[in-house]
Amino acid sequence: MLSLLCVATIVGLFGSATVTLGQARDGLDVLGRDAGPQAMATTELYLALADMDARVVNILLMGTDHDLGSGREESEAGYESSRGQANEALLQAASLTEGDTVEEYNVQAVLDGIGAYEQLAAEARLLNDEAGAPPGEVDPEALRSYRQATRLMHTELLPKAFNLGLDSSAIVRTNHEEGQSAVAMGLVWVGGVGVATVAALIALQLYLRVRFRRRFNAPLLVATVGAMVLTVGVTLALNSSGGHQSEAKDEGLDAAMALARAGAITTDMQADQSRYLIDDVFADNYQQVYLERSQQVLFRPASTLEDYYAEIGEVSEAFPELPGSDGSDSRDPGTLGYLGQSAQEALLPGQEDALAEVLSAYNDVQVEDQRLRAAARDGDLEAAIDVRMGVSHTEEGVFPAYMDALDGLIDLHREEFTDGIDRGDAALAPWTWGLPVGALILLTLVVIGVRPRLAEYR
Amino acid sequence: MWFGRRRAWSVAALVATATLVLSACSAEDEKSLVDADSLTIGVKADQPGLGLEEGGELVGFDVDMAHEIAERMGITDVELVGVTSAEREDKLISGEVDMVVATYSITPARKTEVTFGGPYYVAKQDILVRADENEVSGVRDLAGRSVCQGEGSNSALRITDGLGIDVSELQEAESYSACIERLAEGEVDAVSTDNLILAGFLAEDPDAFQFVNNPFTDEKYGVGLPYGDVAACEAVNKAVSEMYQDETASVLLDEWFGETGLEVVRSVPQFEGCD
Repeated sequence: MLSLLCVATIVGLFGSATVTLGQARDGLDVLGRDAGPQAMATTELYLALADMDARVVNILLMGTDHDLGSGREESEAGYESSRGQANEALLQAASLTEGDTVEEYNVQAVLDGIGAYEQLAAEARLLNDEAGAPPGEVDPEALRSYRQATRLMHTELLPKAFNLGLDSSAIVRTNHEEGQSAVAMGLVWVGGVGVATVAALIALQLYLRVRFRRRFNAPLLVATVGAMVLTVGVTLALNSSGGHQSEAKDEGLDAAMALARAGAITTDMQADQSRYLIDDVFADNYQQVYLERSQQVLFRPASTLEDYYAEIGEVSEAFPELPGSDGSDSRDPGTLGYLGQSAQEALLPGQEDALAEVLSAYNDVQVEDQRLRAAARDGDLEAAIDVRMGVSHTEEGVFPAYMDALDGLIDLHREEFTDGIDRGDAALAPWTWGLPVGALILLTLVVIGVRPRLAEYR
Repeated sequence: MWFGRRRAWSVAALVATATLVLSACSAEDEKSLVDADSLTIGVKADQPGLGLEEGGELVGFDVDMAHEIAERMGITDVELVGVTSAEREDKLISGEVDMVVATYSITPARKTEVTFGGPYYVAKQDILVRADENEVSGVRDLAGRSVCQGEGSNSALRITDGLGIDVSELQEAESYSACIERLAEGEVDAVSTDNLILAGFLAEDPDAFQFVNNPFTDEKYGVGLPYGDVAACEAVNKAVSEMYQDETASVLLDEWFGETGLEVVRSVPQFEGCD
């Protein structure tokens, strides 16, 4: 009877450990190769859309001078490429949100919206070309079409795209947490069955000792120790793989997605410079919106752009200290936003330089903004347009330089993500063969331990 | 001898296993409002059109929003309590209210203490003038005119400092309703704050005032939640998305602000994100 119980518990240990290890592997798989990368791709939808609108407004701003900045052709090519990226990201989003009606509706709405946007944007470009509008003096009809286009972009497309990105984060989080709690439940089983196995083996040992007056039964003793090793080993492996998975999500994927959002918002924000220059009626609004987007990217308490420039200059100088974060001034909440405290907290040791570079590149963008608005205020439209087209210049512009620095930092977090997933897999890997082999050895040991006694009994 | 040692071993293994299991479980034991049976929601009690106590009952756009969101989260037992602007953080942090839907603008500073679902609407700063005023069509026309703002607000600062507009006088009143009274009596030329708040006052007396309809900032009205309740934040976002998709939000906007000439946005706002 007891020997049968031992066999049953060993089989149970094997079973529960196999199931739980399988769940842990699935969790890593979904996060690492399925939902995770899809969520990252969805996050890029916003970037692609914001870039499309940025290209359009730049083309309008350039007017007849096709050689401003890195040229009209480059803007047109950039537009097409972002258009393609938006499509690609929408496909990813569609596959990630399948079955969720709210999200499917959003994907469809963005798809339809892109069509309407493209029409308005093409109309604006055509009207402006036909009117032969010089740089900075967009044809009024063209401007009317562009206002409609950018309004559509900012009230319909971008919010939905941004929300889709957030939803994909939510899907990843839910998957991750459900997976982790399934594994936690599995751990309880493995632990429980493991303890039962050890107890059964000890009981068998004691029984044989009393019944046959042997000092101890070596195979059973080895089996007992083996069962403990197996239980503790599997538990430790599951625990460490779960830890790696959480690291991959928090410091890898989540951090990378947050920074990608910062890049997308900055893309829209630098386009506000062009909108500010082409639209006198709404220039104040575009300036205010520019400040608000800037505050989202990197927050310092400032109610005007002039104050903000000064504060941002300090942040980049003070780094790795973040101004206001010591709590000494109760009115100063600290250095917040995507590039502020949260970016610093998500950093792994040795990555400070990458963030320092991003902050300094961001400051460069703001320094140029200050020059641009000063020129515009002085009525020197030509100089302002030069600054603006310089900012987005493919090779020398401060904005592409900032995006490069940001991409460098994002790549570090992406590496952390794939490394975390790999480490999680590696922690589980030995048990793929270790568990069945271990269980077989245990069973063999029990048989070896019990058989001679059975013979004696007969 | 053997026996004792072995027992020590097994006890050690048991303790180790139990500890690991417990540590794995505690991580998911965080409470979330999504699992709650009832909710206490803080709304304004003195803001016409948004949250106003009327005959012992709280009514307004925020109030309706609060009910809709709770219902879509699957919670029907909802108690509404009035909160003032100054109390919002404290009451949320102390747990006196579970949720705040009270013209609560999402700001980076507040996000360090409160998790925000939504925004459920992005209000814009705008300007209200008397109905007979026909020389103010944009914020720049406020140069040389007087502007009133509520105490502790910095909406007028955006006009003076932010845009460098030279107003003749900057008045501060104890509340925006006091500003509106001054506007009605001709003591001040314009009142500037969030357009939904202005629309609420305007709806009470549609013939007395008019909007300039030149919005120049975003005020993201968020749903204040206990800090770190990501699951509730995601549930709120889902509820808000649904409300815009099935046009509930649009109907509510019309119901409360339809007659004011306010240009409302009828598509879902860009959410803030839950972390």
